[in-house]
Amino acid sequence: MSATDDDTLPGIPNVGKADLDAMVENERPDPREELADVEADTDLGIAMAEDAQRVARGEITGDEYWEKYDEAAAEEFGEAYLETPNPAVDAGDQTVSTDTAESLSCSVGSMDAVATESAQVDGEEADGGIGAGDEKWGMVIDLQKCVGCDSCTVACKSENRTPPGVSYNVVMEEEHGEFPNVTRTNVPRPCMQCDNPPCVQVCPVSATYKMDDGVVNIDYDRCIGCRYCNIACPYGARYFDFGENYDDEVDEAGELTSPEYGVDRGPREEGKSPIGNIRKCSFCTHRLERGEEPACVETCVGDARNMGDLENPDSDVAQMADSSRAFQLKEDEGTDPNVYYLK
Amino acid sequence: MSTQSSRFEFDPGFEDDRLRVAWYAVVGVLVTVGAYATYFRLTEGMASTNLTSIVPWGAWVAFYIYFVGLSAGAFLVSTMANVFEVEGMHRIDRDALFAAIISMAVALLFVWIDLGRMDRMYFPFIWRQLTSALSWEVHAYVAYIGILVTELYFSMRIDLARVAERTSGLKERFYAALALGRLETSEESQSFDQRWLKRAGIVGIPLAIFMVHGGTGVLFAVSKARPYWNSGLFPVIFVISALLSGTALVMMIYVLRTRLFDGESVDPDLLDRLAQLVIGFIVVDAALTAIETFIAIASVHPHEIETWQVIMYGPMSWSFWWFMIGFSWVFPMVLLSKRSWRRTPSVMVLAGLSVVVGIVAVRFNIVVPAQVMPVMEGLPHGMYFPTLVEWGTSVGMIGVGLLLYTIGAETLPLTPLTGGEHE
Ligand code: SF4
Ligand code: SF4
Repeated sequence: MSATDDDTLPGIPNVGKADLDAMVENERPDPREELADVEADTDLGIAMAEDAQRVARGEITGDEYWEKYDEAAAEEFGEAYLETPNPAVDAGDQTVSTDTAESLSCSVGSMDAVATESAQVDGEEADGGIGAGDEKWGMVIDLQKCVGCDSCTVACKSENRTPPGVSYNVVMEEEHGEFPNVTRTNVPRPCMQCDNPPCVQVCPVSATYKMDDGVVNIDYDRCIGCRYCNIACPYGARYFDFGENYDDEVDEAGELTSPEYGVDRGPREEGKSPIGNIRKCSFCTHRLERGEEPACVETCVGDARNMGDLENPDSDVAQMADSSRAFQLKEDEGTDPNVYYLK
Repeated sequence: MSTQSSRFEFDPGFEDDRLRVAWYAVVGVLVTVGAYATYFRLTEGMASTNLTSIVPWGAWVAFYIYFVGLSAGAFLVSTMANVFEVEGMHRIDRDALFAAIISMAVALLFVWIDLGRMDRMYFPFIWRQLTSALSWEVHAYVAYIGILVTELYFSMRIDLARVAERTSGLKERFYAALALGRLETSEESQSFDQRWLKRAGIVGIPLAIFMVHGGTGVLFAVSKARPYWNSGLFPVIFVISALLSGTALVMMIYVLRTRLFDGESVDPDLLDRLAQLVIGFIVVDAALTAIETFIAIASVHPHEIETWQVIMYGPMSWSFWWFMIGFSWVFPMVLLSKRSWRRTPSVMVLAGLSVVVGIVAVRFNIVVPAQVMPVMEGLPHGMYFPTLVEWGTSVGMIGVGLLLYTIGAETLPLTPLTGGEHE
């Protein structure tokens, strides 16, 4: 840094760098005090923290650091350490060499990979695979708060990487009345994850089915693409994947796909599922499994969309779905959607 | 291929060789066009169609239910001969059965090409869904084809044996194999065949009416999301229009095959009987359709009314007025109105052809308009007209059907060797 304390700029108060550093130091909690509150060994914690700062300053390498502390950490944290992904291993630009990473006693692999893995359905019998959660997922959309900006539609497209012609979420805009007394309602429409889903009823190969957590799954490896469910859905929520791509708009548009229903299918390729299959909103199951909200809920500018457990009476969504403002679309169809709207 | 014998003459195939060449040329063109279009279908996938997620079912589905209907109708005509033993109908028994088999094969081709994943066409036999009409249908179709083949076998077996007896070498082995080695031509063997023919027919009737064609109607009718289909009368109309198209087809085939293949003259009484059946079915079909329309309109359900508006006044209304009303009802009705016309083969071929073409529009008007209306206000309206690829593949699959039929008609004893009556 070439800046000295004398370099002042017009209009900027002349506060010395040393002063600023002192302020930070003042605010910094005392490591001993902090660590005393946790069960783990305080001395080990402080030593590790100090060495971590050295790694940051480039005085020692990441490899040296991990080699030094691996044993101690394994002893101190036991199982918990052995089974966590090594946070220093991050696909692409990791701070330790692969050799060292492999020699460590904690699991090797990036946070990302481990998260995806644990979300995948492993085999048939996996009781605890995707969608086996105790929650019953439901969404409540407050129509008073929806401004019709279609952010949810865009967020969904980028999260789920849906091709042209496939849009798991749309915002239906309805105008009522005659000029000048016109009102306009915006009704966002994801898949309703119906409790009595006609789409499930008609599928000849049981490729689409209800999971324990209430989400209606589509098994892209089984769907034959007959589009009967597309015909049967009273909400127009299903879309056929005709195999189109955004290649003209975006380079390598098909390189990334979303691990829908917890299955990572790699890059989008001709003749490979989900091309030729039916698709629809999954309540972002892959995100729910990671403890995140669906992309549309997270992005909603008006905070109109809420996601939660309908079976937990204390949850926000359960309470909203119970309110007198709540209604479902096409209630007389008997489909009993798990998406509620507030009028 | 002419095999002379003292008692029976067996010489199937075209009488006129030039006609044969011309016919195969036409069929060849259809199949070639189809192959070319299928190439696009396979390489470009479903994007080669004009289908969308709003109108997911189009020409292929319409042709599929059309051919299922033709098949069920032709089969039911055959049962008049082999189950109900209506006098004089025996002559067309095998024609009807064979046409029913070919139609069913074509129908399944249409289902196949319509699948987003054609490679998974056998999945419905591995995984099922009890509540899915389509799952049931797929099994019913297989059972039904089984019944049809069984029936055709029992109906034709004795003549296959007779032909095998009079030929030698490869041909003999071919016909003997088709007769499954049962080569007796005794009275007992014949009555055995007839007994089983009747039994198979009795099983086949409910299968055809309730499962195969009624079921195909149910497939649409259960769709609560589409009020236009969601009616109890719908499957019934399905069966009646199937009978109509099937009978018209058999009538046409009877004349053409008798004239062009057997070189015989048409039996005016039989022709008249078939013609009267066609009249009856036209009347019932038109009446039920009128009732259905009336209920729909009188219910003042906006969805229903708008769908009917699309049918009657929309951009495709010509198919309703010209084809559905004109070709399948009015025009044939005129041709069928005079007794002397009903006994004139050429006029009846025209009437049959008119119905067979007209019912195609009936099927299109079942499938497409119900999808034009969005399922919810605020969703976009549908638009659909088949692409060249869809037309081309359809033409090709029809060509394949014609080819299979012609080959069969040129080799099999579809006309009873002992003449039309019960032997
Ligand atoms: S909204 Fe449609 S696709 Fe979603 S569960 Fe209901 S019927 Fe199925
Ligand atoms: S398109 Fe796929 S999921 Fe839908 S009914 Fe057909 S096989 Fe089932």
